[in-house]
Amino acid sequence: MNTGPYSNEKVQAFILDQFIPVRSECFWDKPTPLMQRFGIKWTPTFIVHDSEGAEHHRFVGYVPADDLFAQLGLGLGKISYDADRLDEAIARFRTVIARHPAGGATPEAIFLAGVAEYKRGHDAKALRQVWETLSASYPQSEWTRRAEPYSAIPL
Amino acid sequence: MAGIPWETDFDAASAKAKVAGKPIFQDFWFDG
Repeated sequence: MNTGPYSNEKVQAFILDQFIPVRSECFWDKPTPLMQRFGIKWTPTFIVHDSEGAEHHRFVGYVPADDLFAQLGLGLGKISYDADRLDEAIARFRTVIARHPAGGATPEAIFLAGVAEYKRGHDAKALRQVWETLSASYPQSEWTRRAEPYSAIPL
Repeated sequence: MAGIPWETDFDAASAKAKVAGKPIFQDFWFDG
């Protein structure tokens, strides 16, 4: 039950501090009601729900500890972002960016941090900065391509 | 640390989350 990234004590402490953790076993010959409810087609599938049970983030496939931290942090940020708690969302995304620069979820955190900053302050330079950061540090990321239109915004 | 005390009942986890005001981290796994 506590193998892979879950054997990392920092991962354990983070999950215990930040979440109610639940594991749902899957059976492919007879999909469970939870598999059907959440449309589970492969394992592992990870979902971050808010405290009311609404889904905000999901990712599929094994992730090592650093990627798991980044994904969980991104999920927490998306809960705040989706609730329009922009200061909180920005802080969450910035934590992911600062602590897990190599995390697979980090380019999305950069993108959403910039969007949240723009929504908070209505300064389009925040979007241009998203492009600058992503194109410089993550040129192959799809999030860099999504930010490409912001390259035309004057700094 | 003794590991993560996983809840296995999603409805029970949801009830705990509401009371605690905490998000839920759900791992769908398969013991192949």
